[in-house]
Amino acid sequence: MSLNVLIADDSSTMRKIIVRSLLSLGANGLTEAGDGEQAVAHFKAGQFDLVLTDWNMPHKSGLEVVKEIRADNAHVPIIMITTEAEKSRVVEALQAGVTDYLIKPFTAETLKEKLGKYGL
Amino acid sequence: MNVNYINPFITATTHVFKTVLDCDIRRQHLSLKQTRAPTFEVSGVIGLTGKANGAVALSVSKPLAFKLVEVMLETRVHEINSDVADAVGELTNMIAGGAKTGLSHYELSLGLPTVFTGRSRTIDFPASVSPLCVLFETLWGPMAVEVGLNAPRSAGSADNPPRPNAFHPSLQENYA
Repeated sequence: MSLNVLIADDSSTMRKIIVRSLLSLGANGLTEAGDGEQAVAHFKAGQFDLVLTDWNMPHKSGLEVVKEIRADNAHVPIIMITTEAEKSRVVEALQAGVTDYLIKPFTAETLKEKLGKYGL
Repeated sequence: MNVNYINPFITATTHVFKTVLDCDIRRQHLSLKQTRAPTFEVSGVIGLTGKANGAVALSVSKPLAFKLVEVMLETRVHEINSDVADAVGELTNMIAGGAKTGLSHYELSLGLPTVFTGRSRTIDFPASVSPLCVLFETLWGPMAVEVGLNAPRSAGSADNPPRPNAFHPSLQENYA
């Protein structure tokens, strides 16, 4: 599966869990970012088919990442993966341009089901 | 003293361990902490701010910390390293996030997790509150969730909190 996926989360544990699921689904072209600034820099330097981002990250939040990506690219699917579960936060993220939303904690099956909606 | 704010943390901890680790945890007793030192050797701490202020800590024994990494990352570790710190920090983050949803009347924001080892450091709970400690037993060893929250009743009654406007399935049952 030749999809380029950007994974942004300040937790290396969470990035490894997500990468493991992506690899099991046959994805390649995986790029990791440990904070929001790195995520935006990677996005501007590359071509991505899917972006997975945490909300609470150092230097730049996931919400800011989403807004900057949407300023450049209106079409790439973005999944917010976060502990922010209040309805108002979900609405805020969707209004900023998030395509889909996954609340932590999640099972591997839930993550794979979500990724399956985006060509994996 | 308002202590009912502890319940969403207990619910969130149970849900996080079951979902992430497929681990059933058993709650032991709840107590007021007599010290601000963590209960066990590896502790993740997150600050909470909003209409209430404070901190939550997940404190685990070393064997449990190693097992958490083994289950989450499918990697065996035998010493405290960055994987251990990050795994404990991320679990703390998920527990705080889940509890935040159940305490939506306090409009809490989470800080970023910090993790430290040893029991000589103190956790930065508010000076005006006595932190609560909930002990849990797991198949892999003991752990504690410690919460100190300066939670005024005027921000919403913790005895009768408003129904959370949330999507968190594990927390809905608290208010059913």
